[in-house]
Amino acid sequence: MLIQLLANGIVMGSVYALVAMGFGLIYSTTGIFHFAHGIIYTLGAYLLYLLFINLKISILSSLLLSLAGAASLGIMVELLIYSPLRRKEAAPAVYIISSLGVYIFLQNLIALIFGNETKVIFPGVSKTYHFGSIILTQIQVFEVVAFAILFSIFCIFLMKTRFGKALRGLSNNALLAEVVGIDVRKIRIIAFGAGSLLAGVGAVLVSLDVGIDPNMGISMFLLAAVAVIVGGVKTFTGAVLGGLFLGVIQNLVIWKASARWQTLVTFFILIMFLLFKPEGIMGKKRRLEEV
Amino acid sequence: MNYLLHILIMINIYLVLAFSLNLLIGYTGLLSICHAAFYGIGAYISTLLMINLGMNFFLALLLSILGAMLISLLVSLPSLRLKGDYFILCTIGFQLIVFTILYNWISLTRGPYGISGIPTPSLFGFEFSTIPRYFLLTLIMGIISFIIIRRILISPFGRLLKAIREDELATQSLGKDIFKVKILSFLIAAGIAAISGSLFAHYVTYIDPTSFTLEESIFIATIIIVGGMGNLKGPFVGTVLLFIIPELLRFLGIPDAVAANLRQMIYALLLIAFMYFRPQGIAGEYKFK
Amino acid sequence: MNILELKEVTKNFDGIKAVDNLSFFLKEGSITSLIGPNGAGKTTVFNLITNYLTPEKGSIYYQGEEITGSLPHRIANMGIGRLFQDVRVFNKLTALENVFVAIKKNCGENPFTSLLFHRRVAKQEEKNMAIGLKWLEFVGLSEKKETLAEDLSYGQQKLLSLARLLANDARLLLLDEPISGIHPEMIERILSLIKRLVQEGRTIFIIEHNIGAVLKVSDWVMLLDGGNLVASGLPSEIKQDQTLREVYLGV
Repeated sequence: MLIQLLANGIVMGSVYALVAMGFGLIYSTTGIFHFAHGIIYTLGAYLLYLLFINLKISILSSLLLSLAGAASLGIMVELLIYSPLRRKEAAPAVYIISSLGVYIFLQNLIALIFGNETKVIFPGVSKTYHFGSIILTQIQVFEVVAFAILFSIFCIFLMKTRFGKALRGLSNNALLAEVVGIDVRKIRIIAFGAGSLLAGVGAVLVSLDVGIDPNMGISMFLLAAVAVIVGGVKTFTGAVLGGLFLGVIQNLVIWKASARWQTLVTFFILIMFLLFKPEGIMGKKRRLEEV
Repeated sequence: MNYLLHILIMINIYLVLAFSLNLLIGYTGLLSICHAAFYGIGAYISTLLMINLGMNFFLALLLSILGAMLISLLVSLPSLRLKGDYFILCTIGFQLIVFTILYNWISLTRGPYGISGIPTPSLFGFEFSTIPRYFLLTLIMGIISFIIIRRILISPFGRLLKAIREDELATQSLGKDIFKVKILSFLIAAGIAAISGSLFAHYVTYIDPTSFTLEESIFIATIIIVGGMGNLKGPFVGTVLLFIIPELLRFLGIPDAVAANLRQMIYALLLIAFMYFRPQGIAGEYKFK
Repeated sequence: MNILELKEVTKNFDGIKAVDNLSFFLKEGSITSLIGPNGAGKTTVFNLITNYLTPEKGSIYYQGEEITGSLPHRIANMGIGRLFQDVRVFNKLTALENVFVAIKKNCGENPFTSLLFHRRVAKQEEKNMAIGLKWLEFVGLSEKKETLAEDLSYGQQKLLSLARLLANDARLLLLDEPISGIHPEMIERILSLIKRLVQEGRTIFIIEHNIGAVLKVSDWVMLLDGGNLVASGLPSEIKQDQTLREVYLGV
């Protein structure tokens, strides 16, 4: 029982980690608390529904188009919302409120078009696999595999490529990066594109697993944000550790109490971390006043 | 007539909410996104006290104010040590925790089923049972709250709040305990929000957790952000404007099912537009730093 | 008598010693200036005294009492005031309100007192008005009392934040570049105000880049480099030292 729950935790945690990697990438490179990341996630899932169910396009093309759609929407938010604010040298709170505005607008648009009810893309029972005493469905296996592959790709991308190095430079010091001639604008667009792509991957996997509803993005975004902070903002592996940690914890809550109390436990953990270890599991020690 | 009074009652209730949140956002510079939590705490405490203990409305109201103030310490003590995004996220976390408790502590709150048959208030045998009478009650309570808030804001305490908003470090360097001042500001804002909650519960006579969600907190913040921060006009302008918009939609004959989403979309567009064109809101004097 | 004393104070930033085993004291009623190149750790010294930064080692005494690690607002209330390099006036408050905020022991700053004892608070505000106007008058800003701080010139803002310190009844004034970036006439005005304050028994500790100007008013000069004192002495001694002149003063 416990082993099965831990396995489920890692499956859930893999999705959290995907979305959190995306959010962490955007947050650390641009400094924007990108609330709209949640709606990019929802949109990715609804695009899949639109293409696969409504337009009856093949599943593979639908998946690829949904991911491309999520990435372009992320870039559009940067170009249409954040970039004009940056030109006006807006305050940080202005970005977060605008981002919240984008979230609410698109969520209600989705609800208006598709309705508020939960929709299922693959009905019925899916194939299961046995690993010793652990049972996982096919899609759950996909979730873990997709996470493992993307995490590896991103590690290589960040460590080895020129863009990856520039991204890390930007997250450490935007001004310096600009001075040494990195094209900051381009880097930001890449961060939004790649970050949103990761959210899209998480979204299509979840939508194939449990279905979709217009509210799915907010809780996922908050989990991702908590994962990033708990793991450590300035470190890419932090978001991943944070995501897996939350996935496992949530399943332990199911075991010891009930799924109903998951939100409470998640935010309790967040507040404890913010107070006692604001730099996160992986982060370097920072003074509380700087946070 | 009753239709108009109904809208005026709701405006009164939200004015009190908006004025109290303005104390945090506009005066102290704390972008708090958990006001619906205090609104809900007020509603539930006074409802439960009246239903379970048969308490008089005004006593229940008083205790719900004190309860909300006490609970505000649970969020203000930890979150006030944080800044910027982390502070906002912490208040959102508190909002979600309160909602989860209201939704899942079924033995106390009846969770998603809600509580119905909430008694109407009465004072010395005078029942506030009709809409005009309830309007009178909300008007009186609204005026009292307004006087309290105004007196606090034009006092040296209000000036100190503005100083903290303008420059925390400088205020501290003048020997002010800014942590204590912020906690007090949270305490007062929470207490006044509880008045709104209580007035709302005994007006609609049925409450469930869906009235006190994160979306609701964002809506209350929208009132302040659009109306204007840091003075007494802003919340007034914001509340009236944001209540007129849905009525216009109704007037245009848009069906209810569509209107709910459309209303939210308009509010969201307002938020985005104001952040870009006029971050201090319509009548405000302070903008985010 | 020594009003302030630092004993072997050390502060590191990421392993780099910003202030290294620094010891000195200030005489009450004197003007001391702290000079040195950029990055010498001058502002860090101020931050350590007001405990915006806490030293890793060493201790700080004010009027014989240890204040190392005390809360910043407590230190301020003991009588250590600070004028910030970037002035930090309250932009959306008027000049008079800026000074009002600084006045100590204001019972109206408790919201419940303000709510319930309206009269008492109003009376006190009247009394404070006199204090506020006195200090605005002192720095020559009485005519600007109703002007928002953000609408004042940079020099006027420096005067205003000085008035704020005085209304706060600071006995030791830490002035971080009080005359940088302002009009020469304004410099004269601020320097003469500083001299008057010392005559009243206050103690002044200045960080300044405009070395020529501060040397004229200082009683004692300390030269800081690499987080430690390289030299200290009377202004005349510092001015005459050939190596100091070449290396640090650039004259």
